[in-house]
This record gives sequence, structure tokens and C-alpha cells, in this order.
Amino acid sequence: MNQTLLLLIVILPFASAAIMGMAYLFTSLRDERIYSFIGIATPVAVTLFSLILGVQMLSNDTTFVIHSTLFEWLHIGEFQIAFSLMADRLSAVMISFVSLIGTLIHIYASGYMRDDIGYGKFFAYFNFFLGAMLLLVLAQNPIIMFIGWELVGLASYLLIGFYHQESGNITAANKAFIVNRIGDFGFVIGLALLFLAIGDKGFGFDAIRAHISLVDPGLLAPIGILLFVGAMGKSAQIPLYVWLPDAMAGPTPVSALIHAATMVTAGVYMVARFDFLYELIPSVGLFIATIGIASALFAAIIACMQSDIKKILAYSTMSQLGYMFVAVGLGAYSAGIFHVFTHAFFKALLFMGAGAVIIALHHEQDIFKMGGLKTRLPLIFATMLVATLAISGIPPFAGFFSKDAILVHAFAGGHIYIWAIGVLTAFLTAYYMFRLFLIVFITPAKTAHRTTEVGMSMKWPLAVLATGSALTGFLGANEAYGGSNLFGTFIHLGDRVHHVDHSTEYLLGGLSVAVALAGMMLAYLRFGKGASEPKADTPWRALAINKFYIDEIYNALVVVPLRYLSILFDRFDTLFVDGTINLMLLGYRGAADAFGTLQNGKVRYYALYILIGISLLSLAMLRMTRSPL
Amino acid sequence: MPEYYLALAALLFCIGLVGAVSRRNLFVIYMSIELMLNAINLMLATFARAQNDHGGTVMALLLIAVIASEAAVFLSMIITLFRTNRTIDADFFTNLSQEQNP
Amino acid sequence: MIEQGIFWILTLFLVGGSLGMITSRHSVFASANFMLAMIALSGIFALLNQSFLFLAQILVAVGAVITLALLVIVSVNIHQRYTPDEPNMRRWLAGVSLLVLPFFVLLINTAGKMPISFKDVPAEFGTVRGVGATLFSDWVLPFELVSILLLVAMLAAIIISRRGGDHDA
Repeated sequence: MNQTLLLLIVILPFASAAIMGMAYLFTSLRDERIYSFIGIATPVAVTLFSLILGVQMLSNDTTFVIHSTLFEWLHIGEFQIAFSLMADRLSAVMISFVSLIGTLIHIYASGYMRDDIGYGKFFAYFNFFLGAMLLLVLAQNPIIMFIGWELVGLASYLLIGFYHQESGNITAANKAFIVNRIGDFGFVIGLALLFLAIGDKGFGFDAIRAHISLVDPGLLAPIGILLFVGAMGKSAQIPLYVWLPDAMAGPTPVSALIHAATMVTAGVYMVARFDFLYELIPSVGLFIATIGIASALFAAIIACMQSDIKKILAYSTMSQLGYMFVAVGLGAYSAGIFHVFTHAFFKALLFMGAGAVIIALHHEQDIFKMGGLKTRLPLIFATMLVATLAISGIPPFAGFFSKDAILVHAFAGGHIYIWAIGVLTAFLTAYYMFRLFLIVFITPAKTAHRTTEVGMSMKWPLAVLATGSALTGFLGANEAYGGSNLFGTFIHLGDRVHHVDHSTEYLLGGLSVAVALAGMMLAYLRFGKGASEPKADTPWRALAINKFYIDEIYNALVVVPLRYLSILFDRFDTLFVDGTINLMLLGYRGAADAFGTLQNGKVRYYALYILIGISLLSLAMLRMTRSPL
Repeated sequence: MPEYYLALAALLFCIGLVGAVSRRNLFVIYMSIELMLNAINLMLATFARAQNDHGGTVMALLLIAVIASEAAVFLSMIITLFRTNRTIDADFFTNLSQEQNP
Repeated sequence: MIEQGIFWILTLFLVGGSLGMITSRHSVFASANFMLAMIALSGIFALLNQSFLFLAQILVAVGAVITLALLVIVSVNIHQRYTPDEPNMRRWLAGVSLLVLPFFVLLINTAGKMPISFKDVPAEFGTVRGVGATLFSDWVLPFELVSILLLVAMLAAIIISRRGGDHDA
């Protein structure tokens, strides 16, 4: 029963993606109701199944794991890779919220994508994306996880380039795909090293966990770093984050899905899944945390100067992912996953709210051309307020508890710098989020614009998510705040425990709330009355507005040399390789012409050739017999 | 003594070979081939005599019949070729060459 | 001794006729030389006690084949302008002879090493009676096959000549 459910969770999205894809490709069926029915029914069913599994986890002890093998994939000698799935408490939590939020985004998308010519295709891709993420999460061994990992990359490529009529979108999709590929390269090398080390003992996560102590400690660090390189690509951390802002080229529901439910959380999940490995190499963990906090700060600074509503949100995602990596890097796995969990709610909400605003304003994305929408879009205003408060870390909204857990852990672990930068980032987060919020909803508009009504299917998922953003934080509230860290206890990961007394915790929590309020105040002071676009009047501002010129630097360091190298290789190819071949061709042609001349059609000459053969043979035989003459 | 006969047969065969390869006159080529066949005949007869066995003689007889058949076919072919092309030059006929003759 | 003398004389005619055949430019001269050689060859057969073969050679090779060839040469009425002038004939002959030389030496070597010699043979050897007995006992099947071959060759000769005639007309 459980095994069938587990299989169905993965197979259903793929199956419905295949069915819708076939229907879209090979039939003239374009009825949006059919596609949206199939496309939404599938994640709903998956959500139900996931919740059933999750409830069973609740009622059993922590060792309760569901295994399900679809078929044996590879069997070479004693080495076996089975196509099998595994649901433990960590993956049960992941699939529950991934499918739940995925469902809400699907419902929202059915309204957002209305009247789009590729409606069926969109839902096929969407289900495929969800299925890939579920496969990644439920994988029983790293190989299957890697398949899911790659399929997620493929789905993101397809969806980012969904409006493929514009070349810019194609470039963005290519960028996402290629940057991810760089990360995946590291990931697959890491897997290969791990496999070389202990692959002969079995390669399921259980087997690796059991035999991890056999691996040479000197080899563990490269493995951990390489696996994290994969996470850098998927989860958009420095230096492989450049695809994430460009990924906004896709439709807004795609952004919501990438940022909230699927794709970017994969890296954090992977590190948490390998918690036993990273627990043995704390220095690599510190490296991960450093990259994470650097990404968090970096993205927050860039976000402060952007004017595209979706890009601001994209950079905020990168910033929040930085927090998550700080958590998993420093051994607070459950806190990291908890932040993934709460972030999924409010980030999905933010994107869907932004999408609703964009739709209402006829595809306007520049926040400085918006304004005063509070009265026009009251529901979106309310839900966005909840989400903004949640991401800024204002209690009792969800973001406060999860972010605070991470910062407290960093502080207690003695990583004061990381904590300090985290607090600074929290300040910036509150600032840029309220900047966005105020400019869009409160500040009077400079130019009057007509808004269109937003459909019901786009509204009530917002309400559900707003409820989630407001309340899910209590699941992970720890004792200091009157909770009992239900979430962390439930997923039961090998956290490093630092004891912190309640007064310190209150102090830290109060500090981050104060900092967030300060950020909000600053935003209000600067943008409450009127807003103007940021100008690059000082060098520092210019740096931030231009995203620190990272794209340009990458272009100069990687793309341009590669292009010149390819031109060089092209020359080499045409001149040398082709030249050699052409020369040989010339030789062959000459030889063929020579032999063709021999073939002159005169029988006499043919007889002569035979005679030459006979003559030579005779000479050879004479020499063999060594007869005189 | 039989060596002389065999050597004579070899000499005749080689002369025939030289003629068949180096001449362009179809008649001479035909007669050179005849000569080579006859050289074989001579060899067979020599062996029959040396072994006191009529098998070689009979083979030579049969070969004479083959020579006759060959003569009939070859000569009729020469006639045909001559009628159509007005030449008996072997080098004129190049239908086997790589350039397709019209 | 006499036998050997006759052998050399016949060999002279045989080789001379053959060489004359392959070197003469005119078809009629060539066939005359060839006839000479064939007659000498039948003499060699006689020297080898092959009386029946001698007869057959005279009748078929000389009588039928050469006559037929001459008939053809004359009937197609080959004028000098139809025969190829072969400007490089001597060079070709010399070159090809050089090529054939190793083969010839090989043949001579082999012939010299043959462990055979001429012994006295019964009076019946080579006569019509003796050859006929062998022909119709051990060699019946080849004999019949050769007769079929002759038939086919005859038909082929007729058909090829006729088709050429049609083409000409």
C-alpha cells in the first residue's frame, strides 16, 4: 500500500505530463479546461498521497522508512543500482510541502496562463517539473537522485524558455542550463569519487551512511566540496548564481515554482540528505556556510537597487538560500530544512502576488511605474503584506522563526562573523522588501493606470499561502518562544546541538526584529512619500545597480576566451584537419586516377597485368627453390 | 629424352603467351591461343608416352575437340566484330574501360 | 639417332613457325606460319608413337581449323587498311618476352626435374584400337560432354555470326 503510494507519487506527474504532452503534440485538442483539470488533479492526488505518508511517519518512530523498488536498473557483478524510492521523515516533509505548494501554483497558473497558445504544453512541462523534483527528493540512492537532479534542470530550461519567440528568453534558458551543467559536473564527479570509495558496499543512502567511516578522510573533503558545487548551481549560490535573475524570463508561475517548491531547494535538500557526510568534515561545512552568507549579503545588496519586481524577488531568493546554506553548513540541518519549508510558503506567495500585480497592470514589471495599488487590489495587498513581513523576519510570521533559528545557531556555534553578516542581511532584506512593497502598494502612483480584474483561481491560492506564511512558523518554534520545535524533532536529522539559554535567545531574536524594523523604517522614510528610480550617481551605487558587473566579468573571463578559443579551433579544423583530409583525398583521387588509367578497357593490357603477376610469382618461386639462373 | 619434349611444349606455350599479350591483330591473338592449347596437347602426349598410359592421349583428343569449338566461336566473333566495326584491332574495343564508351 | 634428328628438324619448324606467326604483320602470313607449326606438331606426335593423335591433329587442327581461319581471313577480305599497323609491335614483343622469361625458366626447371623416361611401349600404344578402347571405357562421360560442348559451340558460332549480320543490315 505504502509502496504503491510512493511509486504513484513519482509516476503520476510524469504520466500526466506525458499524456498532456502527447495530446498537445499529436491532437488538435486545445481545450484549456481539460489540460487544467489533468494538470491540477495530478498534484492534488500527489499531495494527498504525500500527506498520507507524512501522517504515517507521525504515528511511527523515527526509523520508519518506506522503500519501494520499481525495477533493477543496473546489475554488474555484485554491483547493483535499483530504480528504487525511499521515503523517510526528511523526504516526507519535502514531498509534502513541494506537492502542496506545487498544487497551489498549478491552480494559480491555470488562471495566469489563460488564453496562452501553449497552455497544454505549459501544464505538461509543469507536471514534469514537479515529477522531477519528487524523484530527486524520493531517490533511494544518489544515482536516482542525480537523474531527478538533471530532469529538474531540463524542466527549468524548458520553462524558462517557454516564450521562445523572443531570443532573450532563449538566452536566459541556455544560461540557466549551462550554468547548472557546470554545477552538475562537480556533482557527478563528487558522486563518482564517493562511488569509487565505497560503491562496492552498496550505493543506497542507507549503505553510504553505514559505511561512510570507511572513506579516507582526505577524500571526504573533495567529495563534500564537489557535491556542494552541484548545489551551488542548482541553488544559485556564488559563483554560479547568475542564471537565477535571468530565469525571470519564464512565466511568473514558473518563477514561483523554481523559487519556492522545486529546483533551488534541491541543493539544500541534498546537503541535508548527506548530513552524515558533512558531519564528518566541519571545515567544508564552514566553507559552505561562508559561501552561503556571502551569497546572502551579496544578493541583498543587489536587490536594494533593482527596479524589476521579479528580479528583486529573485535576488531575495538567492539571499534566503544563503541563509539555508549557512544552516546546513554549520550543522543545523533541521533549521535549514525548516527555512526551506517556510520560505517556500512566503516566496511562492510573493511571486504569485507579483504575478497578479503584473497581470493586473498588463505585464508591467517595473516597480517605479506602479504605485498606490492598495485600494485597487486589496486582497493582493493583504497577502503580500503577510509575505513581506514573513520574509523580513517579523514575529509571529513564519520567516522569523526559521531565520532566527539559523542565526541563533550560528551565534551559539561561535561563528560571530557569519551571525553579524546574517543580521546585516536581515536588515537589508527588510529594507528592500519594504521598498518593493511600499512602492507598489502605498506610494501614490505617478502615472494613472487601468487595472484589470484578477481571476479567482489566482486569488484564493494567495490566501492559502498567506495563512501558511503566517502560521507555519509555529511548527518550528523552539522552547524559548513557547513551542517545542515540532518540525526539527519530526524530521530527525543529525543536528549539531548548541545550548543557548533563553535570555540570549530573546536578546538575539529581539535584535533581529529591531534590525528588521529599522530596515522597514528606512524604507518608509525613503520611499513612503514618493519614489524615484535609483540613479547611478556614486560609484558604489553604480556597482550595485549593475549587479557588481558579475555578468560582464564572467563574460570577459569565460565566454570571450572560449569564443576566441572556438574560433581558433575552427581555424585549426578547417585548415589543419580538413586540410589533411583534403590532402589525403587528393592522394586517393590521384591513386584512383592512376588505377583508372590502368583500367583502359583493352583486354590485351589486362592480360599484361596478369602476366606481370605470373612473372613476379615465377621469380619468387625461382628464388625459393634457389635453382641456378 | 622426355625433358626435350616438355621443354619444347614449354617454349611453345611461352611463345603463344607472348603473342597473345603483345599483338593487336585479333587473328594473331586467336592463333597464339591455339598455339598455347597445342603446347598443352604436346605435353599430354609426352606424359602418355612416358607413362605408357592412354589417358593422356584421350585427354589430348578431347582437347582437340575443345580447340575446334574455340575456333568456331572465336572466328564467328571476329566476323561479327569486323562487320560492325570494320577493324580487327584488339585495342579498338575498349568497352571495359572506366569511361563509358558511347 | 634418326628419331632424334627428326625431332630437332621438327622442332626447328615448330618453333620457327610459331615465332613467324607471332611476328608477322599480315594475317595470311601469320596463318601460313601457324599451319607450318601445326603440321610439325603432328610430326612430333608421330614421334611419340601417338598415331591416332597424329591423325586427329592433321585432320582437325590443320585441316579444319586452319582452313577455317584462312577461309575467314579471306572471306572478310581483310585489306591492309583494316589490320592494325601496330607501330610498337617489336617493343611489345621484346618486353613481354622479358616478362615471360622467368616463367619459362621455371617451366624448364620443372621439366628437367621430371623423373620420367621413355621406355618401350607395346605395339598397340597410340593406335586407333588402343586409344579407342580407353576412350570408350574409362572416358565415356568426358567424351559425351565434349560432344555436347561441340554442339553448343556450333550453335553459338551460328547465332553470333547471324546477329552480327542483322546488325550490319
